[in-house]
Parts: sequence; C-alpha cells; structure tokens
Amino acid sequence: MDWKKLDKFFECFTKGVTFFSFFILSFIIIFIVKESLSLFKEIGVIDFIFGKRWYPSSYSNPAMGIFNIILATIYISILSIVIAFPVGLGCSIFLSCVLKEKTKNILKPYIDILAGIPSVIYGFLGLIIVVKFFEILGRPSGESVLSGGIVLSIMVLPFMIDVCQETMTRIRKKYENSSKSLGISRWYMISELIVPASKKAMIVSIILGLGRALGETMAVMMVIGNAPIFPKLFGKAQTISSLIALEMGMAEVGSVHYSGLFASGLCLMIMILLINFSVEFIKNRYLGDEV
Amino acid sequence: MRKKETFYRGLTYISGALVFFLVGFLFLYIFFKGYKVINLNFLLDVPQGMVLGQEGGIAPAIIGSFLSTFIACGVAGFFGIFTSIYLVFYEKNQKKIKIIQSIIKCIGGIPSIVFGLFGYTLFTIYFGFGKSIISGGLTLGVMIFPVVEIRIEKSLREIDENILKASYSMGVSKFYTIYKIGIPYCLKEIMASILLGYNYAIGATAPIMFCMAVINSPIAFDIKKPAMSLSYHLYTLMTQGISMKMAYGTAFILLALIVVVTIIFQILLRKRDE
Repeated sequence: MDWKKLDKFFECFTKGVTFFSFFILSFIIIFIVKESLSLFKEIGVIDFIFGKRWYPSSYSNPAMGIFNIILATIYISILSIVIAFPVGLGCSIFLSCVLKEKTKNILKPYIDILAGIPSVIYGFLGLIIVVKFFEILGRPSGESVLSGGIVLSIMVLPFMIDVCQETMTRIRKKYENSSKSLGISRWYMISELIVPASKKAMIVSIILGLGRALGETMAVMMVIGNAPIFPKLFGKAQTISSLIALEMGMAEVGSVHYSGLFASGLCLMIMILLINFSVEFIKNRYLGDEV
Repeated sequence: MRKKETFYRGLTYISGALVFFLVGFLFLYIFFKGYKVINLNFLLDVPQGMVLGQEGGIAPAIIGSFLSTFIACGVAGFFGIFTSIYLVFYEKNQKKIKIIQSIIKCIGGIPSIVFGLFGYTLFTIYFGFGKSIISGGLTLGVMIFPVVEIRIEKSLREIDENILKASYSMGVSKFYTIYKIGIPYCLKEIMASILLGYNYAIGATAPIMFCMAVINSPIAFDIKKPAMSLSYHLYTLMTQGISMKMAYGTAFILLALIVVVTIIFQILLRKRDE
C-alpha cells in the first residue's frame, strides 16, 4: 500500500474536517449576531438593555426592554453562589483534608454524578420539594427568586468543589509533613494555612460557578415563576434563558419579537463570555500553576 | 481551641455531611418514588389516558432520546476526533491552533438555550428539516462538540512524545503512527469523552424544545419526524400537572440512563490511573 499517498490524504481529510467545524462554530456566533441586528436597528441598544418594560406582543404600546430580566438573571446567580460558597468551601476541606485518600477516591465520584444530573430533574425536584416547602411555610406562592437560588446553588456546587478541593489537596500535600513535625494541629493548619493559601482558587470557583448559573435554563424556569418584573427575594422574576425558552415558540420568525429573543441570547452570551475570559485571565495572570 | 478553628471544623463537618446527604437524598427520593411505576408496560407502551401521559408508557420518549443522542454523539465524535488529531499532529502554526481552540472554548461557554435558538432557526426553518429528530440531534451535536473535542485533544497531547518520535524516526508514516499508536493509546479517553457528551445530550431539554420535542408521538424510528424526548416529557408532565406518578417514573428512567453511563465513564478513566 502506498503509505505516502494515504498519509497525504489523511492530512487533507483532517484539515477539511477541522476547518469545517471551525466554520460552523464561527457561523453560530455570526448567525446569532445577525439575527439580533434588526432589533438593535429598530429599538436601539440602550433602550433594549435599560428599558424596564417587556411587552413584545402588545398592539398599542409594545416595549422591549430587558433590564429587569438581566437584573434577575444576575441576582439569582449571585444568590446561588452566596448559598453554595460556604457549603462548597466546607465540603472541599472535608474532601481534601479530613478524608483519607482512599475514602476520598470512593466518595468524590458521587459528587461528580451531581454535576451530570440533567437540569430538568433539578427543576422537577425543586418544584416538588423547595417550592412546596415555601408553600407549606405559608407563602402564597413558593415560586420565587429564593427557590431558584436554592436549586441553582445545588447545581453549581460540584463545579465549585471540584476546583477548590484540587488546590487544597495540593497545598495540604506540600505542607503536611512540615506542619506535623512542628506539632501544629490539623485544624490550625487548615484555618491558618490551607484556607488563606487557596483564596485564589476560591475566586476562580466563584466566577466559574457564576458562569454556570447564568446560563441555566430548565431548573430555573420551573421554579422562578416567570414574571418580567423587578426581582425581589420572595417575588417572582424571569431570567434571560427562561424568557427565551418560554417565548420562542410564540415568536414569528423574522419579527421584532423573534429578533429580541436572539438579542437577549446575545446579551447572555456576552455576559458568560466575559466571565469565562476573566477566569482565563485570573488563571494565567495570578495563579500560574497553583490551580 | 480558638474560635476560628472551631468555625472551620464545624463548617467542614456540617457541609460535608450536607452534601453527601443531598446526593443520597436525590437518588433515593427518585428511586423510591419512581421504581413502583416501572414495569414492562411503562417501558414499551405509548402515552395514554384522558390527558395524554396520564397512563400508558414512555417508549416513544426513550426512542426519541436515544436516537437524537446517538446522532449527536456521532456528529460530535466524528468532528471531535478528527479536529483534535489535526490540531495535535498536523497543524504547526501555534497562532492558528490558538484561534481554533479559543473559538471552541467560546462555543463551549454558550448556554444550552442559545443552542436551542440557533438549532431551531437554522436546522428547522432555514434548512427545512422541520421539527424532527435530525434537527434535534444536530443541535445537540453542536452543543456537545466543544466538550468532546477539548477532552480528546487533551488526552492526545498527553501521549508520550518519545514514543511518537521513535515511531517517526523509524520512518513510519504519520498516519500509521496515529492509527497504531495515537488512537489505541487514547481509546479509553476518547470513548469516555463521547460518553460525557452522551450524558449532556440525553439530559438536555432546552436545545430540543423547539426543534424536536413534541408531547406525543408513535413508536417509530423515522429521523425526519418529530419525537418525544424523556427530558421534555418530564417537563410537560410536571409543569402541566398531568401526572406526578408518571413524572417520577420518567425521572427514574432518565436518571438511570445517566447513572449507568457515568459509572462506565468512571471505570474507563480509573483503569488508566492504576
């Protein structure tokens, strides 16, 4: 067999496939920008982002401003991080410093499975447990920003734990022998050495979790109540992704409403890209090989 | 003992216990509520009842989920494997590699609902595939491509440089080296990456809401027709209040499909470490 020819052919083939996928991926971004352009022409970027009313299908006075919706998206993501962070921190210490290596290797996959559960199942459980719980407590409606935050916090936990515990394990391995030989207790080492030293990893985990939380659709949509109003802790609200998921079926292709949904998707994408870039930046600039 | 240490000690044990309790609770809850619903009828019948879905089974949903996920894994696997082979073994220009890698990362960060928008407009409407398994599968394929590609590329880059150099210096062609050393060396990781993609795809609801999923469909294997999907079926059962019992059963099946694959995934990766 002529290997040289085959080799050449294979190189061309992989090259073709690579450039085809590169083309498709760039096309996605261009496509989304293109579809949202007509809204920006019609309404304007400022009015779209800072407008407070979202009534796309009203005849007399249509308005498309997603300020409340953006705010709710950010609010619910930050809330979920606030809830998840202490638990994630504690659990990372638990995995990296308390458990023996063997036990940890058995238990860690269970947390990884948590990351693989589809969001619709989280939404389902959120609806029958968290929302019900608030209703039992006597609130007229359990669907609120807080329920969304609680459900989301469970979803971002595995990602936060993953980043933190890896760094903590590395730091513990590095200093364990010296601190033991100095006669320092384990908890002194944890509180004075391991936690401060993994501060940057914690920041990365927070930003990473935030990126996850912002784009989450199903779980949030099912428990948040979906009303495009100013978000309050116990009130209903709507996030960008749930807005798209709920209204896409109704919007006529090519209409302003349709283009508005693409524009909201674009906003969400830009927010997440900024977050991902800042993670990369922090990792490269400040962490080096720490994380 | 000082306050700070006590604080961390408390936090550690409480949250450690809390997280493991949560994991256990999630699985046991779905298991005990769901397993009673599961029987042959549930697995092999179409949805029935006064309001569709109240009785009967979920067979079309299982078929729809599997077909679309297989299409997605096929597409993402094919493109993922060849793209990463090209980037690792053939492309010399670091700048080009960086550009392609960063756009893949970029797409990997896009939330799933935006893929839903994209797939719906492009495949369903502009390409004229209509609401169908093929549109859903392609959308999911685009969604999981970055995950699959990044993992495969990473594993290919971890191949021992010396083995490759030895092979090249013996005059073995690049294709033969990749075929005989590169792929077999990383086969487990490649399979694991595709399985991870499967996990994402089978549970995804948002991307297929518009371009594939419907409330009822017959048991059929036609990829040009719309189909039910497990995740979307669970969503409609729950939000429209059709049947809690069936929702638990559907959630059980969906979770079981994911847990089984996750266990295979872990085994594949663990063998390598030892």
